[in-house]
Amino acid sequence: MPGASATETGGVGLAIEARGLEKRYGEIAALRGVDLAVPVGACFGLLGPNGAGKTTTVGILTTLLAPTAGSARLCGFDVVREQRRARECLGVVFQESTLDRDLSAREHLDLYARLYHVADRRRRVDEILALIGLVQEAGRPARQLSGGQKRRLEIGCGLLHRPRVLFLDEPTLGLDVLARSAIWQHLRALRREHGTTIFLTTHSMEEADGLCDRLAIVDAGRVVAEGSPEALKRALGGDLVLLRLERGEAALERLGAAPGVRSLRREPEPASRVGAASRAEPGIGFRVTLSDGPRQLAALLEAAAPCGVLEVALQRPTLEHVFLHHAGRAFAVGDADASARESAAPEHPA
Amino acid sequence: MSAFFSDAGAIFLREWLRYRRDRAYWIGQLLFPLAFVGLIGLGLDRVVELPSGASYASHLATGILALLVSSGGVGGGFTLIEDREMGFLRALRVAPVSRASIVLGKLAARTLVSLALVLLLVAVLSLLTPLRLAHPAELLLAVVAVSASSVALGIALASRLRRLESFRTVSALVTVPLYLFSGIFYPVATLPAPVRALAHLNPLTYGVDLLRYGLLGVHELPLALSVPMLLALCAGAGAIAVAAFDRASGG
Repeated sequence: MPGASATETGGVGLAIEARGLEKRYGEIAALRGVDLAVPVGACFGLLGPNGAGKTTTVGILTTLLAPTAGSARLCGFDVVREQRRARECLGVVFQESTLDRDLSAREHLDLYARLYHVADRRRRVDEILALIGLVQEAGRPARQLSGGQKRRLEIGCGLLHRPRVLFLDEPTLGLDVLARSAIWQHLRALRREHGTTIFLTTHSMEEADGLCDRLAIVDAGRVVAEGSPEALKRALGGDLVLLRLERGEAALERLGAAPGVRSLRREPEPASRVGAASRAEPGIGFRVTLSDGPRQLAALLEAAAPCGVLEVALQRPTLEHVFLHHAGRAFAVGDADASARESAAPEHPA
Repeated sequence: MSAFFSDAGAIFLREWLRYRRDRAYWIGQLLFPLAFVGLIGLGLDRVVELPSGASYASHLATGILALLVSSGGVGGGFTLIEDREMGFLRALRVAPVSRASIVLGKLAARTLVSLALVLLLVAVLSLLTPLRLAHPAELLLAVVAVSASSVALGIALASRLRRLESFRTVSALVTVPLYLFSGIFYPVATLPAPVRALAHLNPLTYGVDLLRYGLLGVHELPLALSVPMLLALCAGAGAIAVAAFDRASGG
């Protein structure tokens, strides 16, 4: 079975390598210098608001678009100069349908098996039909399949020739929870069993967090943040603890002495809070940012104990906070996105 | 090289499946020439006398067959717009398949459909007019050349036009003059001199004439001219189709 390995990529160990990718459409710059390095076997997620340049990046990496400047290699092959070799390594599941509505699921798979010169064509087609759960529907024309079935067929076409790098542009868009989790399972198995490198773009933070071990956030044609989901979340400045204490005397000093406290502030008095004025809550609220919430919470509570702890809540930053923090800076402040960003992530200043 | 032909074969298979399943298409393509020849050709047969002595109905029947092959070819090039709309071409473009093999596959499927239609129609029309497979090799060359050049024209048009409606209008604008000055409806020799000159510049004229030779055994133009001309047309059409394909498949 032809699996991917570092030696097959010319020893570099990178499945995807892009340097200074730029793409201009006349006056408009879609990409302004994108660098990417995806190791063999990784699952890499590309996040970014609509129009940030995700699809353009995928277009260049999959040889469909020529970059205006910069270069990219796929399994060591230049996507412009060694197009055919690069194409042999890749499988793509596009965001929009690429199915021929008059061909059946089996005919689609058979066509791609021929075009990619897949050995033992029949067996492989049967295997994929079973994998994507379309054995019963194998003979039905694509136009008669449901949305989820069509999506699964597209993914089956992308997987069929065991690509070394699989590109997925919004793979689970419009799928129900069941179909989505089934596809995630397939993708995990694919990595585990064949070492397939996966490159996906998504708007689902859950998908990015659950599948990817490395993420890049693009905005206005540039990579604005990159790292593992954990590191990106950590970089936002730690975990927030919301505390409500009986007595406020000396609380700031006590809390400030606990390990890992990065910032500390007393909540405004309830009377001064807009909207909460009528609902008087007992005690005094505090917001504490810890560098490692789960490990330091116990010590913080110990320090706070003499003041009488009424309530405690730990909020860890999510990828959504990361995304909102980094993306969309190109928009004018004050628009809907900016205000949504402020309301969603006020606790996590960089 | 074997990869080239197996890729073209895979594309051919896909196109052929699509054509084969479209029953309405076959019925329409078979009924139109029969109605045309039956209603107009047989009626004019008694009024019109041709210089070659052949019956007008058989002249018109062979002309209509050439028209069918040509318009089918232009329509075959148009399937690229459909493929592009469906998104199917995008998946094809990331596959390690050359443009030339895609074009060859499409062209071969279209030509096979035309050939099948011609043979079926000859079988029926031979009951009404004196058609027969007089020169099968020349008939084959004529069908392949007319089909290939029409597919190339269709692809070239598809590369410039994004919408179905505009394709229909523009292709009619381009093809109708080609059809009128090609000897489909009346012999080139009967045309006024300036129009006759135009007809001689029209590659379709040679295809129509050779097709007629294949089915009736008569021809207006020297075979020593039309045969090499049509062979060259096949090669030229292939090259134009491949060159236009890139632009046509983008989007």
